[in-house]
Amino acid sequence: MRTKSLLSLLLIGSFAAGLVSCGSNKGKNVTISGAFALYPLGVKWTEQYKTKTPDLRFDVSAGGAGKGLTDVLAGAADIAMFSRQLTPAEKEKGIWVFAVAKDAVLPTFSLNNPAAGLIRKKGLTKDQLKEIYLSGKNNITWGALLDTAYNSPVVVYTRSDAAGAADTWADYFGGKQENIKGTGIYGDPGLAEAVGKDANGVGFNNVAYVYDVTTGKKRPGIDVIPIDQNDNRQIDPGEDFYENADSILQAISDGRYPSPPARDLYFITKGKPTDPAIIGFLKWVLTDGQQYVKQAGYVPLTDEVIKAQLDKLN
Amino acid sequence: MAALLGISAKLTNRISTAWLNFAVLFLILLPLVIGVGLIVKSLPLLKEAPIGTMLSSSDWSPQQGHFGFFAFIMGSVWVTLLSFVLSAPVCLLAAIYLTEYSPGWLTQTMYFVIDVLAGIPSVVYGVWGVLVVVPLLADYVAPALGLSTTGYCLLSGGIVLAIMAVPYMLNMLMEVLRSVPIELKEASLSLGATYWETIKWIVLRKGLTGIIAALSLGISKALGETIAVLMVVGNVAKVPASVFDAAYPLPALIANNYGDMMSVPLYDSALMFAALILFVIILLFNSITNFFLYRIKEV
Repeated sequence: MRTKSLLSLLLIGSFAAGLVSCGSNKGKNVTISGAFALYPLGVKWTEQYKTKTPDLRFDVSAGGAGKGLTDVLAGAADIAMFSRQLTPAEKEKGIWVFAVAKDAVLPTFSLNNPAAGLIRKKGLTKDQLKEIYLSGKNNITWGALLDTAYNSPVVVYTRSDAAGAADTWADYFGGKQENIKGTGIYGDPGLAEAVGKDANGVGFNNVAYVYDVTTGKKRPGIDVIPIDQNDNRQIDPGEDFYENADSILQAISDGRYPSPPARDLYFITKGKPTDPAIIGFLKWVLTDGQQYVKQAGYVPLTDEVIKAQLDKLN
Repeated sequence: MAALLGISAKLTNRISTAWLNFAVLFLILLPLVIGVGLIVKSLPLLKEAPIGTMLSSSDWSPQQGHFGFFAFIMGSVWVTLLSFVLSAPVCLLAAIYLTEYSPGWLTQTMYFVIDVLAGIPSVVYGVWGVLVVVPLLADYVAPALGLSTTGYCLLSGGIVLAIMAVPYMLNMLMEVLRSVPIELKEASLSLGATYWETIKWIVLRKGLTGIIAALSLGISKALGETIAVLMVVGNVAKVPASVFDAAYPLPALIANNYGDMMSVPLYDSALMFAALILFVIILLFNSITNFFLYRIKEV
């Protein structure tokens, strides 16, 4: 009996202490929820911003783009991270969308491919890529694509989980994720792994996954299919920017790499933000925060885009 | 404690009975509540499209408003059947050997192995499937049969599921066979039946209801398993034509799309409807097994 009352005293005591500590902390809590694609950058930004505003507390969680938007609409989160195009039904809900960074999806092939050298030299045109990824035909041969004797058919891999990357890659051809016909693999790493193993495999990955952001080199096993944008069946010096992370990020930033498959990543709020803490954070992200974008493997926004976003906040 | 607080034994008894009733009632109502919740959430889709076409069509393009679930239903059914065919005979034979023939230390070791297998998280089975089963099928099995496959196929899903179902089925089968009274076996043996005849005519017959229950537990487990299957099965929304084709079971559909698409009203509703289909399949399946068990008990 005595131990029991002691225990309950302890429990009540700690509960009261918790209440007091909650009450005394006047810091505001900002909740951010949403896309996995933007999560690493979201964490980086909040960590940096916290050092400037110690009384702000951030709670960043990743659960998918739709989860983030649903949370924001329900009031469970202040900001949603979003990585795909909004559907018409989503646009009607009175939300404010701010582009905060750029990213790109790159088509990939296996380093085991016997025609790897030729793929790097000739690349593939947009029409060829569309045929490969969207037609669902399983008899498109590397020989026919590259005008060579290697006659194995191309095998397409795509993301099985609803992913901004897949949506953006399909958007290059005017489609949606569901239009990409191929074996569905779970997650960015799984897809890269599956493509790497299959000599005839092609897939697509986010820049931050194709290149190791710390070394700038391509991940082992896969390589990027260069896009032959002027259809002259060779990769001209102007189309050749896949060497390392810096060169591709530069090409995305100045528009030499097409958009889509380059895409904007967004922060979304319910209505125009009114809370000064959130406005402050968004402004910081669009100004000083942009310096952390590149080291996290994303592409910083151009000055006009940033200005357009800041105008929305004023 | 009760005496200390001055509550009479009668009252304590009544309170505890009430609690027990409440607990049971809660558990009985739980499936009902889940079912109703799923129906309510699927209503927006059900208003939009006729249920018959959705169940029989395999055209899955939600952004264009086509919701066909047939490919997913077939994906679930095939992967479950395949895992059952692969695991049930092995489990039954192993259970007979381990309870009737094997030395005690082996049975004890097996119990340990079962516990370990049951304790491994399903995502680990999935990773193992990707690293071992998928390349095995793609590089050796399919070429040996003159076929080509990516390895992410129905058969990979079936194999991974079969292995995951083994600990549950085997454990229950062993318990069932051990519970057959020794006197029955002694009687059979004393009448001149051989050991194998005794197993066939006494042990298996006596344990039939338990065996069916154990196998149906394995099937239920396979129907609902999500992440491990999703990682190896290929996830193509098409009715598979062979075991080397990719398939797309219902749980995988929900897990792949829920977080990202829940802000699109019809898509969200479609995923809830997929959950409802799964719920109904499991309900039907359990009703059928229960009916058979009832018939067997009557005989």
